[in-house]
Amino acid sequence: MPVDEKRVKLRLENISQSYVVNNKVFDAVSNISLDVYDNEFLVILGPGHCGKSVLLNIIGGLEKPVEGSKYLDGEKLTGSDKRIGMVFQKLALMPWKTVMSNVEFGLQMASVEKTKRREIAQQYIDLVGLKGFEKSYPSQLSGGMKQRVGIARAYTNNPEILLMDEPFGQLDAQTRYAMQEEIQRVWYQQKRTIIFVTNNIEEAVYLGDRIVLLSKCPASVKQIYNIDLPRPRDTIEPKFLAIRKEISDNTDLAL
Amino acid sequence: MEKIVIQQGIVLSESEKKEIRQNRIYKILPVVSIILLSALWLFASKEVLGFPSPAETWERFTQLLEKPIKALSLWGHIFVSLQRVFLALVLSWIIGISFGILLGWSEKCNALFGPVFTAFRAVPPLALIPLITIWFGTGEGPKVLLVFIGALMPVVVNTQAGMRNVNKLYLDVGTIFNATDRQKLFQIAIPSALDAIFAGVRTSASAAWMVVLAAEMLGAKAGVGFLIIRGMDSGDEALVLLSMICIGIVGAMLAVATQIAEGVLCPWTRKGSN
Amino acid sequence: MENIKEPRQRLSDEERIALVQNQKKMHQITLAMLTIAGVLVFFLLWQMGVSTGLLSSKYVASPLNIFNLFVVKLADPNPDGAVLGVNVLASLEVSLIGFFLAIIIGIPLGLFMGWYKGFDSFMRPIFEMVRPIPPVSWIPLTIVALGIGLKAKAFIVFFSAFVPCVINAYTGIKQTSPVLINVAKTCGASHFTIFWKIGIPSAMTMTFAGIRIALGNAWATLVAAEMLAASAGLGYMILMGRQFARPDIVLLGIVVIGAIGTLLTSILVMIENRMLGWKKL
Repeated sequence: MPVDEKRVKLRLENISQSYVVNNKVFDAVSNISLDVYDNEFLVILGPGHCGKSVLLNIIGGLEKPVEGSKYLDGEKLTGSDKRIGMVFQKLALMPWKTVMSNVEFGLQMASVEKTKRREIAQQYIDLVGLKGFEKSYPSQLSGGMKQRVGIARAYTNNPEILLMDEPFGQLDAQTRYAMQEEIQRVWYQQKRTIIFVTNNIEEAVYLGDRIVLLSKCPASVKQIYNIDLPRPRDTIEPKFLAIRKEISDNTDLAL
Repeated sequence: MEKIVIQQGIVLSESEKKEIRQNRIYKILPVVSIILLSALWLFASKEVLGFPSPAETWERFTQLLEKPIKALSLWGHIFVSLQRVFLALVLSWIIGISFGILLGWSEKCNALFGPVFTAFRAVPPLALIPLITIWFGTGEGPKVLLVFIGALMPVVVNTQAGMRNVNKLYLDVGTIFNATDRQKLFQIAIPSALDAIFAGVRTSASAAWMVVLAAEMLGAKAGVGFLIIRGMDSGDEALVLLSMICIGIVGAMLAVATQIAEGVLCPWTRKGSN
Repeated sequence: MENIKEPRQRLSDEERIALVQNQKKMHQITLAMLTIAGVLVFFLLWQMGVSTGLLSSKYVASPLNIFNLFVVKLADPNPDGAVLGVNVLASLEVSLIGFFLAIIIGIPLGLFMGWYKGFDSFMRPIFEMVRPIPPVSWIPLTIVALGIGLKAKAFIVFFSAFVPCVINAYTGIKQTSPVLINVAKTCGASHFTIFWKIGIPSAMTMTFAGIRIALGNAWATLVAAEMLAASAGLGYMILMGRQFARPDIVLLGIVVIGAIGTLLTSILVMIENRMLGWKKL
């Protein structure tokens, strides 16, 4: 669905990031400026291992950029903010906590009192379809289930922007397709802005309202695509495949 | 080409039969080794002067159950030793874990206190016995102190290692959710280090058992270590061997107890069905 | 939305590298200073405690005293009957013999037990029975069987170092990655070749950890053994110190024991880094 209100939720201006490694400067992100609209599903697509996760870390406040600034609803941001939540790629569930306890974590950090915490967390556990698994430990869950816990956890703090760093990267193909449909369903039920990072073109075209294509290292915005196809999308439909080919031809190969 | 044997509807291949044969042998071997060991024991008691035979040892055991040494039965002595161990252990855990957390979490504290601690660590607790006896004599207190020192080291070292190896990813999750440093320490770092802390606890239990024996052997009026020395001094070798066996059994039970405790307190370490 | 672009001064590459290096240096200097401070304060407190009489010299010797005594004892055989050097050598001799024996016998034993199931089934019960008995408690039995002397001490030291070697070698080889074993099998390697070329190298990290523990055990048990049954060596020296109510000798002994223990461990760590250097890459 096209985004009706083109209200800018997040603005990135001239973001650059570089690291000093072994006395050499290594540029990861080079001068990225980007507008993210309210309630859109924005996909950041780029070749592997270059800049995508760094960019997301900067937005989430885990890293400070060397240059540039970010604005949320017009307000300048430094560091992390409760309004921006994140779902991690590498499974970041704490193994010593149960599912319920993990999902509650954000609320616990915000000092929400216990019964309210339970209530909210339960709501989201149900939303991602994990009802009944509240007392299980992460080691007892499959990869897809673990990611769903991660998503539920990110949702509990009611973030206005949800960052997702290749959340399905570690899953097998079947689960991945299932999770793509799942994330769409959850997004539909609880609309908010999502910034989704992936290196899979099909996934990007399937999920995104817009796709930001990054170049290879150092990452900069190569092109932005508007995907106007109606949802749910058919991955073998000619228009889908055409867009996919267009993007694929434009992508820098990273080895 | 495999030859197949049909046996009550079960079809076995040649390699499966071989495996079954092998497994049968594996089951017998432990019994064989125990028999050999017993034979060795009997042999030693005949050939080596003074080495007690199994019969003598058993007799001594039953004797000891009835006639106490220094007013304490066998169980009494074991209890005395264990008492010292428990007291020292609990103290070492409380202080050791706190100190280990401090050293592992704060780099600055580690730089300040670390080197002196490492130096102390290099000294085997047993070497401290003469010093402590000069300072405090040979009562209960110094013994517990010694065991405490011996048990403290592994607790601190393991706790510190556990704290240092907290997965940065978990701390990042904390950052995303705006956790304060204090929250990160107590809600993320410490739980994540629990399995290392328990490794330290397990090691400290066996270390404590060792030190208490040494301390008792070098000057005590009760306890299992005392029994051994008593046996040695009075030429009562059966008592010596008997005490050793008891020591081994109690030591093993301590190890099992700490392992069970870990399983109860850290249920996530039991492997799931994934 | 109009946004004011903030003028940001762009640092050149060289400036950035210099900045980061500086930050690292500052950090390291702070830590180094804290370390030195910690050590210095400790010694100062100790020295002052004795000098001011707060810590009675009947019980404690000051660092200066100990250093003094160290120099003196290098040549003076009183009161325990031997100069420092002789004691050190005696202790080293016994502990190293026991230690090396333990490695030579223990590690192969552990490796074989971990690899060949038949061997494991045979040795297991013996091992499990012997394991929970702390080495210290073997001392009286050993004295009964072997008397007081080099043999008894070496045996006890051997024993205390033996157990961790076996256990760690066993655990180490057991966790050899089955994937690697399968790779070797598909290359047609025999059971023994796989053991030699894959099992053993995989077990090296844990084995070395076991060797470190064994060394610590050997050194510690030696002290105990010397205190119970010896006529020379550092443990014996400490015992004599107590006998003659000379806390300075006791403390000197303790310091030397600690120092040599640390030295041995450092040498071991150096060897380990040489052999397992690839791990750190």
